[in-house]
Amino acid sequence: MTTVVDETLFATLQPVALRGSVCAQCKAHVFPAQDTCPMCAGVDVSDLALPTHGTVWSWTVQRYEPKAPYRSDGFAPFAIGYVDLGPVIVEGWLLDRTDWAIGDAVELALAPAWTDVDGVVVHTYGFRARP
Amino acid sequence: MSEDVYIVGASRTVFGRFEGEDHDLAEEAVRGALADAGITWRDVDVAVGGTNGETKPDNLVSRLGLTALPFITVKNGCATGGVALLTARNMLMTGNDIACVVGYDNHSRGAFNASPARYGIGDWYGQTGMMLTTSYFGLKARRYLHDHGISDRTLGLVSHKAFAYGEAHPKAWRRKPVSVDEAMDAEVINDPLTRFMFCAPNAGGVALILARGARAFDLCDKPVKLAAAELRGRRPGSFEVFSPWLSPGERTSPSIDAAAAAFTAAGITPADVQVAQVQDTDSGAEIIHLGETGLCADQEAAYARGDFDIDGRLPVNTDGGCLANGEPVGASGLRQVYEVVTQLQGRAEGKQVPGSPRVGFTHVYGAPGISACTVLTTTA
Repeated sequence: MTTVVDETLFATLQPVALRGSVCAQCKAHVFPAQDTCPMCAGVDVSDLALPTHGTVWSWTVQRYEPKAPYRSDGFAPFAIGYVDLGPVIVEGWLLDRTDWAIGDAVELALAPAWTDVDGVVVHTYGFRARP
Repeated sequence: MSEDVYIVGASRTVFGRFEGEDHDLAEEAVRGALADAGITWRDVDVAVGGTNGETKPDNLVSRLGLTALPFITVKNGCATGGVALLTARNMLMTGNDIACVVGYDNHSRGAFNASPARYGIGDWYGQTGMMLTTSYFGLKARRYLHDHGISDRTLGLVSHKAFAYGEAHPKAWRRKPVSVDEAMDAEVINDPLTRFMFCAPNAGGVALILARGARAFDLCDKPVKLAAAELRGRRPGSFEVFSPWLSPGERTSPSIDAAAAAFTAAGITPADVQVAQVQDTDSGAEIIHLGETGLCADQEAAYARGDFDIDGRLPVNTDGGCLANGEPVGASGLRQVYEVVTQLQGRAEGKQVPGSPRVGFTHVYGAPGISACTVLTTTA
């Protein structure tokens, strides 16, 4: 049983997939899922699992420790990016390294975020380089 | 002409760190603007005030005088000043003669620490370290530079220009020049942006006096016409702060829409502008906004030529902008207008644009995706 920062972000955990929503009217995809469509103001919206593979659309490195509510077991600079998944571009951690290029191929993964007071490791989603 | 709205008085405080009360900044600015227009608080028909802090602008009347005037409060993030100005303009167009506009803030040190809940986002976004304005600026700059073939070094040129203007302006905050190499080699905050490529929240106040029709010419030798003031929100495809997702496809921006509306309303084109202010919360933002407003099509070449320097084609952010002044959010948009007004009147406190410019432009932009633009003109 994997503990995550927010269960509503995920369609499934094994294998991991993000839960977005799609508008029946304009087909716009949104993340996290919401029950209205900000693109066309439609209300006929349903949840779906988003694609798990994409390319880096932009990236930066968080080089200073964010203030609360940020949580970690010890801050080290980490990369953040927007990943183009096709129907939607999703923001998330870029895992394992801090040097990226726009267009790099990546795939969705779970990554440890912090350890709770009771010793449970809380995970979030991120994207790692595709082999 | 009788219905046109003019700026007939303007004043700003020194921007920086401030130990007093927020209302001290606002009062100083208002009294300065009243004196500049040669009127008293009793002459003001309506007032609009904006701050992003906790104080109530409308309670400034307890210091300025209980004249029973309507005092409207606005709070629209970085665009607060622009919204305050166009609200006052609209109130003059419905029959009032003289309006006072004031914006002020007194922020504590460090980047804003935004709450996910206030933006309707889950706690996870802050807990995982993504609820940050600075990473947004880095991400947006990175993509824009990539899409438009602009080198990272142009970010350094922006900073160098800003601090050169700031050095010359007695009311700016950062007045130490920074070379392009210093800007490029400084500590990286959020790649590709370094310490010298971000503005910081600080303290300051700005006030303007507006008058309608012939009254403006009674009060001021050289009134500056508010030829346009337009506010726009975001459409699908814009890239805003605190966005866990973006839509693919065409990129839009409230800045594009607000600028186009302002140029249309004023009956001019971007090529007519002779002095401009654009939102430069970071160096990337200035580059982006010069493009989005239509003021510049090839930023890489323009910065290399010095187009935006005081003797260039289009002097931009001539008081040092947000980078050199810092950003007291409620005051920042009005600071831009103040600077352009003083440039058009030939009394700029820092570097004065040569050749008696007659057409100015201002652009503010901020969360959660709004922009306000003005066109300012003088006739002689």
